[in-house]
Amino acid sequence: MATVPDSLIWDIVRKNNSFLIKQFGNGNAKVQFSKEPNNLYNVHSYKHSGLANKKTVTVQPASGKETAVALSTTKTKKQNKPASLYHKSVMRKDFCKMAKAVKNQVGDNHYRPDLTKPALARLSAVYRSLQVAKSGVKKKNRQAS
Amino acid sequence: MAAAARPLVSVKALEGDMATDSAGAPLPDVLRAPIRPDIVRFVHKLLSCNSRQPYAVSRRAGHQTSAESWGTGRAVSRIPRVPGGGTHRAGQGAFGNMCRGGRMFAPTKIWRRWHRRVNIHLRRVAVASALAATAVPSLVLARGHRVETVPELPLVVSDSAESIEKTAQAIKVLKQLGAYADAEKAKDSVGIRPGKGKMRNRRYINRKGPLIVYGTEGSKIVKAFRNLPGVDVANVERLNLLDLAPGGHLGRFVIWTECAFKKLDEVYGTFETPSAKKKGFVLPRPKMANADLSRLINSDEVQSVVKPINKEVKRREPRKNPLKNMAAVLKLNPYLGTARKMAALAEAARVKARTEKLDSKRTKLSPEEASKVKAAGKAWYKTMVSDSDYTEFENFSKWLGVTQ
Repeated sequence: MATVPDSLIWDIVRKNNSFLIKQFGNGNAKVQFSKEPNNLYNVHSYKHSGLANKKTVTVQPASGKETAVALSTTKTKKQNKPASLYHKSVMRKDFCKMAKAVKNQVGDNHYRPDLTKPALARLSAVYRSLQVAKSGVKKKNRQAS
Repeated sequence: MAAAARPLVSVKALEGDMATDSAGAPLPDVLRAPIRPDIVRFVHKLLSCNSRQPYAVSRRAGHQTSAESWGTGRAVSRIPRVPGGGTHRAGQGAFGNMCRGGRMFAPTKIWRRWHRRVNIHLRRVAVASALAATAVPSLVLARGHRVETVPELPLVVSDSAESIEKTAQAIKVLKQLGAYADAEKAKDSVGIRPGKGKMRNRRYINRKGPLIVYGTEGSKIVKAFRNLPGVDVANVERLNLLDLAPGGHLGRFVIWTECAFKKLDEVYGTFETPSAKKKGFVLPRPKMANADLSRLINSDEVQSVVKPINKEVKRREPRKNPLKNMAAVLKLNPYLGTARKMAALAEAARVKARTEKLDSKRTKLSPEEASKVKAAGKAWYKTMVSDSDYTEFENFSKWLGVTQ
């Protein structure tokens, strides 16, 4: 609809929003995190923000399925339709193939080449967590939507 | 200004609607008004003052005694003191804000300025701005509403929603719209307020859910929705900033009925025509047609004018220590090279002269004499070895570790 530029949204959302975690550190040593599901580094910054970017990437453990990872990207033409905003896919392949799929989907067609590395990093982190989750204590996913 | 075709917002039909799918409603211009968090925050701050109730301490608190100062000379401070004797109170300080049982400093009065006047145009701009923010999914999400399952923002429902009478039905409608998650969140959030407010008739708190905006006066929808915790209901003509931007935060989740949505243009006017309901109000225009900064920067117009990227990296030369580095000294003292060379030459000449001088002073032996001297030396060594018999000294052989 009335498309609001990303930079304006970022300015509105930067100081306070419902996903922002401000509790770590003070002053210069402050680290701000974000709970958005489509924030690859969970870090509160313009680049990684899931609110202020038209194109975002999500890498999450798929709920219920063992060692399956859900990858989703935003559709730029459905910005006003939250329910159909994401291309979702669940990956159950071995790691190399998943990595390739992520790399292609994030980097190809100039989607978000700058997020390729974070996406891969997150993929391996998520994958590793799933391997451990079989035996170890389950960690709470603060981002599960 | 090209009056571009306004984007259509689809109208969600409810179950049991007649299958006359309306093509959708054009997006009202209010929803494209500039979003001004600064104005909204400011106006919200002032408006929220208007629901305050006066409070004050009792007018006579701390003054219900006939205390008088004892004056100087009694080795106590000159604060008024309670007269009399026989009780503990007698002789205690009174009145002052520093005294126990005294009045507070600057006792609060009910005639404080509780309410704030806000310029009507400012108020309208704030409401228009808050409305525009309700159409941006990012901002609605950032406020904390659960709109992940909502088909579209702004969310418009067909008019049959206005005839809902029962709350059970209302919940059903919310579920159909994918908006129930937000109402559920508000419902689950009901809790007891932390702090003193609990005892001041503000015991329970909860999050805000969706805001339902209806169009026809006296519709049943109000009663159907009003018992849902966190859900607010409002008429389009009486939209309130406190509902549209709770806490001064933009992006309330708003559900419109179709006729309410269509009335927006009439109530707030468009960019071309002033409002029919609000006298003399024209929507604020966006200052920039395109405020997308990255798009502007990457546009051909800008890129064709800017200087090319300077890719040369100029490194600072590392400083070299002239005490250790020859090249560095030479830079400081160009004569050093010649000085060193001359010194080396002079040294060589001196050594040469000295050896020559020594040689000239030495007597030279002839080869026969030299061989004689050598032979004498060898002979002497042999006699010495044969004369001495080391085997007699046991200790010595022990030292050498000889075992025979």
